[in-house]
Amino acid sequence: MIVAFAFLAGMTLVSAMGVVISRNVVHSALFMSGSFLGVAGFFVMLNAPALAAFQVLIYVGAVTVVILFGIMFTQKPQVRRFRTILNAQRWAGFFVAAGVGAFLAFILSIQNWGATSSGNGTRGVAAFARNLLGVTQGSEIFTLLFEVASVLLLVAVVAAIVVSRRKTGEGVDRGVEE
Amino acid sequence: MPPQVQQVLDTLNAELPLEGYLVVGAIMFAIGAWGALIRRNAVVVFMCVELMINAVNLTLVAFADYLPGARGLGQSYAVLVIAIAAAEVAVGLAIVLAVFRSRRTVNVDEINSMKG
Amino acid sequence: MDTVGQQLIIAAIPGLPALVFFVLALFGRYIKEGAQYVAILGVTISLVFSGFALYFVATGEPIDFAVNWIDLGGGGAFPMGVYIDGLAAVMLVVVCFVSLMVQLYSGAFMEGDKRFAWYYAVINLFTASMLGLVLAPNFIELYFFWELVGLCSYLLIGHWFEKPSARDAAQKAFIVTRVGDAALFIAIIIFWAKTGTTSFQGISEAAQAGFIGGSLFTAAVVLVFVGAIGKSAQFPLHVWLPDAMEGPTPVSALIHAATMVAAGVYLVARTYDIFVQSETAMLTVAYIGGFTALMAATMALVKKDIKRVVAYSTVSQLGYMMLGLGVGAYSAGMFHLYNHAFFKALLFLCAGSIIYAMNSYNLVEMGGLRRRMPITFWTMVVAGISLAGIFPFSGFWSKDAIVASTFEEHYYVLFGMALLTVFLTAFYIFRAIFMAFMGEARTQGAREAVESPGIMTGPMLILAVLSVVSGLVGTPVADYFADFVRPSEFAVETLGVEPHEFSIPLAVVSVAVAILGIGLAYALYARQPERAAALARRFSGLHTFLDKGWYFDALYGATFVRGARALGRLVREFDRTALGGLVGGVGRGALGTGGFLQRLQTGGAQNYALFILLSVLIIGVIVGAQYAFLVVAIIALITIAAFAVGSRL
Repeated sequence: MIVAFAFLAGMTLVSAMGVVISRNVVHSALFMSGSFLGVAGFFVMLNAPALAAFQVLIYVGAVTVVILFGIMFTQKPQVRRFRTILNAQRWAGFFVAAGVGAFLAFILSIQNWGATSSGNGTRGVAAFARNLLGVTQGSEIFTLLFEVASVLLLVAVVAAIVVSRRKTGEGVDRGVEE
Repeated sequence: MPPQVQQVLDTLNAELPLEGYLVVGAIMFAIGAWGALIRRNAVVVFMCVELMINAVNLTLVAFADYLPGARGLGQSYAVLVIAIAAAEVAVGLAIVLAVFRSRRTVNVDEINSMKG
Repeated sequence: MDTVGQQLIIAAIPGLPALVFFVLALFGRYIKEGAQYVAILGVTISLVFSGFALYFVATGEPIDFAVNWIDLGGGGAFPMGVYIDGLAAVMLVVVCFVSLMVQLYSGAFMEGDKRFAWYYAVINLFTASMLGLVLAPNFIELYFFWELVGLCSYLLIGHWFEKPSARDAAQKAFIVTRVGDAALFIAIIIFWAKTGTTSFQGISEAAQAGFIGGSLFTAAVVLVFVGAIGKSAQFPLHVWLPDAMEGPTPVSALIHAATMVAAGVYLVARTYDIFVQSETAMLTVAYIGGFTALMAATMALVKKDIKRVVAYSTVSQLGYMMLGLGVGAYSAGMFHLYNHAFFKALLFLCAGSIIYAMNSYNLVEMGGLRRRMPITFWTMVVAGISLAGIFPFSGFWSKDAIVASTFEEHYYVLFGMALLTVFLTAFYIFRAIFMAFMGEARTQGAREAVESPGIMTGPMLILAVLSVVSGLVGTPVADYFADFVRPSEFAVETLGVEPHEFSIPLAVVSVAVAILGIGLAYALYARQPERAAALARRFSGLHTFLDKGWYFDALYGATFVRGARALGRLVREFDRTALGGLVGGVGRGALGTGGFLQRLQTGGAQNYALFILLSVLIIGVIVGAQYAFLVVAIIALITIAAFAVGSRL
């Protein structure tokens, strides 16, 4: 358990660092998907296999691809120096982020969570699905949340189209004739 | 089996504490925050935001698994968060593309017309 | 005063001119020349109502009603009311009448003035205030109107405020009378603190009952008299009245001859019951009055400005009235007030008529106007004879009564001063008349002068008739006036003054002295004018001393005025640097802070995100600050981050 945990933690965190400090944008994207995979592994360890599947499908599958599309449309050459990719806040940001992280870690560690042990959540897909749809007692709110999320996705799709459509007279993409 | 090896195996097979997952989540969140503050490329900032969201998801699911009083709802919340994050990526990248079209740059530093 | 209707009529007496003030102040711009008609209508109605009041009081009881203005419960109440006895009723009629004459006259005198309607508005406010003052039954109401009257005087003296001399004169008048007003206010407070009431009757009774002790009582009464000194331009606060001649002449006629300056005398008369209880106060009143009469008469001897001659004459005559009140001749003093109102107003109107015709007030530039302005000449002569106190004109009856009283009450020094003043009075007024009207015209302006229009000479003629006959209500044969306007029985008892028979020898003496004065003036100014100039040169030191008003202005200027100016400069500097700097500093501080904070608005979203995270961290630390070590560590982190932010952004 601990071995698996250590390995997954290392993979996730190293990939996260990779996202931040890699000089090539595409490398950042790939590191990001590596981090997602690590989290998926965590989900498996936490007895949420369905969730792990969703994570891989959506994040590694869809989100990474979309981001790669975005990178493709806004291409920048690889740079040599760190200064080009990092802005003026690098050290201030480091300290603040480190502070936040330390603070969070500290607060979460010293809190007394009571008698906890692994395996208290819903272990099977059916129970998880019933929770999600708001059928079981105590999770009634999820009916509403589920539907609202659907509407949100619809709105997001429409918004994405509207925001990124080409208005007449604007700049032309390379190689595409208007 | 020698007792030391058994001991080592026992520790290796021991129950993982909740705090472990929480600390990993916190560190991942911190890294994501740092990146969101640091990087000049807007798309990379996006990716760091995704990292932060994932850290939160991890924490939620960890609570769902460990805390009996949570009734496992953390996983459901995590699913919803995934959905929302996906929507956010779509819209956000659309915006980045629109900005890129008008300014030919995705350098966050140069998008500062609200200065002053 | 039972019915509300009657009370309303009384209330309308000051109320109507006040209403006219508001109407003219608000709409004067549109009415312009029509303002005089509105004003004259108002004051005529007030005059009629005053006549009603006079009738009521003459045939019945004094009018007395009041309402509670401020009621402090246990602390006492301040009522506002009306008290009209014989004295007040006569004053009401006099004030309304003279105001009416002056407003008629002003229609022509102020024609074409830039602020015609405002002039009428303030004159009516003044009339309303003076009437209110006369009606007051207690100190608070009196003080309220006292101040208002002073304000109107200031506004009217400074009516032509484009002239710096007018501005200065208005300020001088206000400030000098302020000294008196402050003293009066202190006296009011002393009385109220000791007796718990401010009504005249109440204080008098309380003083009799012994609520307020000897020296404090005398001090308070003397302070009241100081207030009267200020308002009536007695020594030593007389310096403002000659300068007040900078205002329009009708204003001088109304305010500085007949009414406002009479307010001081009226105050003493009104509070006579209080005054008689302090012998020191009575003596003060008498001696200051007598001295002022003499002093002002000497100053009038050498003045070249015709209005200033009449102004000093007013001061002198007011001194007479104070003298009369001080020696116990209450009715005589008030009778003189009543007569003086008419002939002094007439003198001013005549002066105004000359000024209107010649556009000059300098006696040296006049001459020979007798032929060109006959009405003015004859009315002024009538007024002059009345002022000098020649039998049987009105001035004789009242002035002689006062002079006789001083002799009969054994105030021989005052008698001597009064008699000398009679001589000087006759001399200076006829000096002015002879210089202006006799002889040959000395300048072009005098050659071309024409008589004033009818609306100006009309009031003058009416006042001239009154100057002759107004005295007839108070002759020893049938002294209606003394019956009507007399001190209370308590005052009579306390004073121990016995009524005296009319003394013919004394009357002859005073008339003879007056005729001597006229004769001397004739000899010096009508017959051989060069002798007057020669005399002036020979006694040039004395001449300058008198001309400069016994150097009072110089004295006050060197001491009080310089001191006040220095203090003012000090305060101004403090205000400018300390307070101004403080206020400016606040502004500059705000600007500076704003400028500093503006640099945080970089426009970069990541900067803002940094600030947000930083704030979350700070809030979290503060909320969860149980562990000092961690807090210190995190604060150190934050400090470093802040420096980094500050230096890098």
